[in-house]
Amino acid sequence: MVPTEVGFLARIKTAFLPNRSVDRLTGLLFVGFWAALAFVAWVLRPFESLPGPAEVFGALSTLWWKHGMGPELFTTLALIGHALLLTVVISLLLSYVTVFAAARPLVEAVSKLRFLGLTGLVVPFTLFVGGGYTLKVALLTFGMTTFFVTSMAQVVVEIPREQFDHLRVLGASELRINLEVVIIGTLDRALDITRQNLAIGWALITMVEGISRAEGGLGAMILNQNKHFHLAEVYAILLVILAVGLLLDFAMAFLTRLVCPHAALERVRR
Amino acid sequence: MAAGEVLLDVQGVGLTLGGNAILRDCSFQVVDRVRQGVVTGQIVALLGPSGVGKTRLLRIIAGLDPPDVGRVTGYKGAPLLEGEVGVVFQHYPLLRHRRVLGNLETAGRMNGMGAAEARSRAAHLLERFGLTARAQLYPAQLSGGQRQRAAIAQQLMKPKSFLLLDEPFSGLDPSALGDVIKLLVEVANMDELNTLVIVTHDIEAAVVCSDAVMLLGREPNALGKGVGPAKIQRSVDLVAEGLAYQDDVEQLPRFAELVRDLKDGFRRL
Repeated sequence: MVPTEVGFLARIKTAFLPNRSVDRLTGLLFVGFWAALAFVAWVLRPFESLPGPAEVFGALSTLWWKHGMGPELFTTLALIGHALLLTVVISLLLSYVTVFAAARPLVEAVSKLRFLGLTGLVVPFTLFVGGGYTLKVALLTFGMTTFFVTSMAQVVVEIPREQFDHLRVLGASELRINLEVVIIGTLDRALDITRQNLAIGWALITMVEGISRAEGGLGAMILNQNKHFHLAEVYAILLVILAVGLLLDFAMAFLTRLVCPHAALERVRR
Repeated sequence: MAAGEVLLDVQGVGLTLGGNAILRDCSFQVVDRVRQGVVTGQIVALLGPSGVGKTRLLRIIAGLDPPDVGRVTGYKGAPLLEGEVGVVFQHYPLLRHRRVLGNLETAGRMNGMGAAEARSRAAHLLERFGLTARAQLYPAQLSGGQRQRAAIAQQLMKPKSFLLLDEPFSGLDPSALGDVIKLLVEVANMDELNTLVIVTHDIEAAVVCSDAVMLLGREPNALGKGVGPAKIQRSVDLVAEGLAYQDDVEQLPRFAELVRDLKDGFRRL
C-alpha cells in the first residue's frame, strides 16, 4: 500500500533530521541496523588480531563448560554487589549530610579524591584493610564512592529553594522537609547515579580482581588468558563482561521505573 | 468580630539585599469585611511591575524571610510565623514523587492529622476542586490549571486564615482566568477570617476579584521613571469604590476608569 510505504520512508527520513523523535519500531530498526553493521565488521575482521565470531563463541563454550566460568562470574558478581552496597550506603549518607554547612568541606574532599586513581592506592589500602577479598571490596568501594558522592552531592545542592519553602509553608518540620525533599524526592536521581556507578565499578572490576587472583573472578580469568595470549578466550570473557554489564544496567533502569514511575513522566522526549 | 478589625498589619517593612535597598517603609493593612448574611473573606491584590519586590514582600509576610526593619502581624497583633501562612508559589510546586492524593495526605500528616483524617479531608478537597478524577495522577501528568488547583487544595489541608498567591493569573487564557478568579473568591469565602493576598501584575483580574488593591512601586524621578526601593504607593478600597462583590464588574464605567488610572500609575513605578 502506497500510504504505508510513504509513511515508512517518512519515518526513516525523520531519523536523519536533527532533534526529532521517532516511533519505537523505527528506533528498533536503527538498533538492528547498527548491530548488524557491527557484526558484519566483526566477521570481515579488518584487524588480524581480532578473532572471528566462531573462534570467540567456541572459546566461550570451552571456558563455560570446562574452566568453570559460571562460578568465576558468580565470584565477580558477589564482589561488585558487596562493593556497590557499601558505596550506596556511604555515598548517600555523605551526600545527604551536605544539607549541613559543617559537613560540606568533608564531602567536597571525598569528591576530589576521584582524581587519585586506584593503582597507587593498593599499598596503603593493603596496610589498612589487609589483602585478598577485603582489599578488593575496599578499592572498588573507594573508586565508586568518590564518583557517586560527586554526582549525588550536586543533586542535593541543586534542589531549588522553592521546594524547601513549599514544605515550610505547609508546616513541615525540618526533619520532614529533608525526608521528603532531599531523600525521597531525589530517589530517582540516586538510582540513576547508582546505575552509572555500577557501570564504573564493572569497568574497574577486571583491574581490581587482578590485584589478588587467589579468589578468582572474571578479572583473574582474563589476566590468566592474557598471559598465555589466548586472544579468543580474552574476547570471550570480554563479551561476557559486556553482556552482564548491559544486563545489570537494564535491571537498574527497570528498578528505577518500578520505584519512581514519576521520573519517566518528567522526561522530555525529542 | 466587628467589621474593620485589622487581620493583617504590615508596618514599615524594609529589606536590603547585597547592598541594594529593595523595600522601604512598606505599610498596609487588611481589614475584616462583613456583609450581612454572607460569609465574606478578604482578597487583597498587591500590584506592581516585574522586579519591584512583590515576591520579596510576599516571602516576608509568609514568614519565610525576615525583614531588616518593620513587622508583620496577624489578628489582634499576633506575630505570623512560618507555616501559619499558606503560599501558592508561582510554579505551583507539588511533591513530584507523590500522586495528587498523596500530596494532600502528606500535607495533612505533616500537620498532625491521622491517616484516616488526612485521607478524608484530602478526598473532600479534591472533590471541591474538581480533581477527584486526577487523584491518582502524578503532578507531571496535570495541566497547568489542574496543578494550580491541586497546589491550592494542598495549602488548605491545614486550616489557615492566610493564603498568599504569587502570580496566580500568569499565562492563563480568558476562560481559565475566569475559572481561577471564581476559585479564589470561593476559597476566600469559605470562612469569614480567610484572607488571600494575591501578588500580580494583571490589573484587570486583580480588580475583578479583590476588595482592595495596593500598588507597590518605586518613587518616580524627575523623568517619571521609578528609582530606589519600593513601597506601597497607592491603595484603593474597592468596597468604597463600589466595585467589590459584583458579578459583572467589568461592565461598570468606574471599573474601566480605575483600571486605566492604575495602569497609568503602573507605568511610572
